[in-house]
Amino acid sequence: MLEGTIVDLVPFEDDYATYLKQWMNEESWFRARPFDRREPHTEHDVKKFIEDMEKSDHGQLIGFQAKNGDPIGGLLYDHEWTRVRKAAAIFFVGDMRYEGSDEVLDGLLMLLRYSFETRGMHRMDASVLAFDETRLDAYRRAGFVHEGTLRQHVRWDAAYVDLHMLGLLESEWPGYAQIAPTLGLQASDLEPKPKPEPEKKDEKKDK
Amino acid sequence: MLEGLLVDLVPRGDTFEQMEHKWENSEAHFWASAGDRVFLSHATIERWHTEERERSAHRHPKGVRWGIQTKDGTPIGDIGIGWVLPHLRLAMLGAMIGEPDYWGGGYGTDALLLIVDYAFDWLDMRRLWLGTMSINTRVVRQMEKVGFKPEVRSRDAWLVSGHGFADEIVYGLLREEWPGRDAVIARLGLVARSE
Ligand SMILES: CC(C)(COP(=O)(O)OP(=O)(O)OC[C@H]1O[C@@H](n2cnc3c(N)ncnc32)[C@H](O)[C@@H]1OP(=O)(O)O)[C@@H](O)C(=O)NCCC(=O)NCCS
Repeated sequence: MLEGTIVDLVPFEDDYATYLKQWMNEESWFRARPFDRREPHTEHDVKKFIEDMEKSDHGQLIGFQAKNGDPIGGLLYDHEWTRVRKAAAIFFVGDMRYEGSDEVLDGLLMLLRYSFETRGMHRMDASVLAFDETRLDAYRRAGFVHEGTLRQHVRWDAAYVDLHMLGLLESEWPGYAQIAPTLGLQASDLEPKPKPEPEKKDEKKDK
Repeated sequence: MLEGLLVDLVPRGDTFEQMEHKWENSEAHFWASAGDRVFLSHATIERWHTEERERSAHRHPKGVRWGIQTKDGTPIGDIGIGWVLPHLRLAMLGAMIGEPDYWGGGYGTDALLLIVDYAFDWLDMRRLWLGTMSINTRVVRQMEKVGFKPEVRSRDAWLVSGHGFADEIVYGLLREEWPGRDAVIARLGLVARSE
């Protein structure tokens, strides 16, 4: 576990794996991965995604949760390119009550701390659909710089939309210990969700 | 075959595969890979070809790669679409002329015009894009000339052998912005040459 100010980073397993079956079919997932085809994800797809990320030599899937242990969503440290020392910083919100919250920002800051301070990256990439002000705001507050826009790059619900491209350099990252206190991170203090049902027991129970 | 003014785009058969050892170990690889230098044995390149054939048998959609040859039949490089996303009608282009003697002579632009027409007219793509190192002046000039728009400048996105970090410039072209190959040839005043 890596402890942040109002969230903690944990391995993506147990309840996270269960929640992902739902999260991976929701809006926030597709916003985080604008190149993916909009298609239903089965349990098998979800399991394979987690396995692939675990086996990956150039990525990490990390869970992030509130201080009370309630899972919020996932952080993707992806496409690491060690020669060039760059990678992509991606987050998705699973529990939509946390959309736009400081918890999500803290998750992103912790991902950047991991990227720059643990993995020694020189540059982090991010992209945001042009209409997605909430995501853009989180990246901006974390220090990302808007470096340009890919015009009409992505098909989204009957229209072609622009994709903003962002970057953050190690020289611009003040360090987690320095930046976190300046952002006035406030915990949302939400009630924990009910725990998901345990797997595979009594499948016929509620029929 | 796609017929241009200075070059033709042809299937990449054995003739092209045999050239790869030379091309990939040359300065061409440095420019095409955005700043890397490699030492590749014949065996490695052979293995690439086998793996590539196996993969492309299963992969859908496939990228498309053409060989570039001059009008007298000399193979000089290749050009194609490495990454195609049909649901976005989006394709990423890439090219490498492996013979430095042919750089800056208009061959690459000629090949590019062919591949753009091909991507729009045959593959029904809607948008083409491509990223290059900011220090790759030939590509920068070529993109401007042909009508791609610079859309993003990613700072320090490449680590370039002998140079340090360099920015990446990402170019894009929308189908509605493309007047067609003939119109661009007329605008740039390109003509065939007798060898
Ligand atoms: C990129 C490549 C395919 C372009 O093909 P090419 O035949 O060299 O390009 P062209 O001659 O058609 O166009 C290049 C333009 O750059 C200009 N140019 C060439 N050298 C230049 C230089 N040092 N400074 C400024 N402009 C230069 C040329 O004069 C020409 O412009 P012009 O027609 O206005 O005179 C080829 O150079 C190549 O394969 N290079 C190595 C690999 C590579 O860079 N791949 C692309 C990675 S994104």
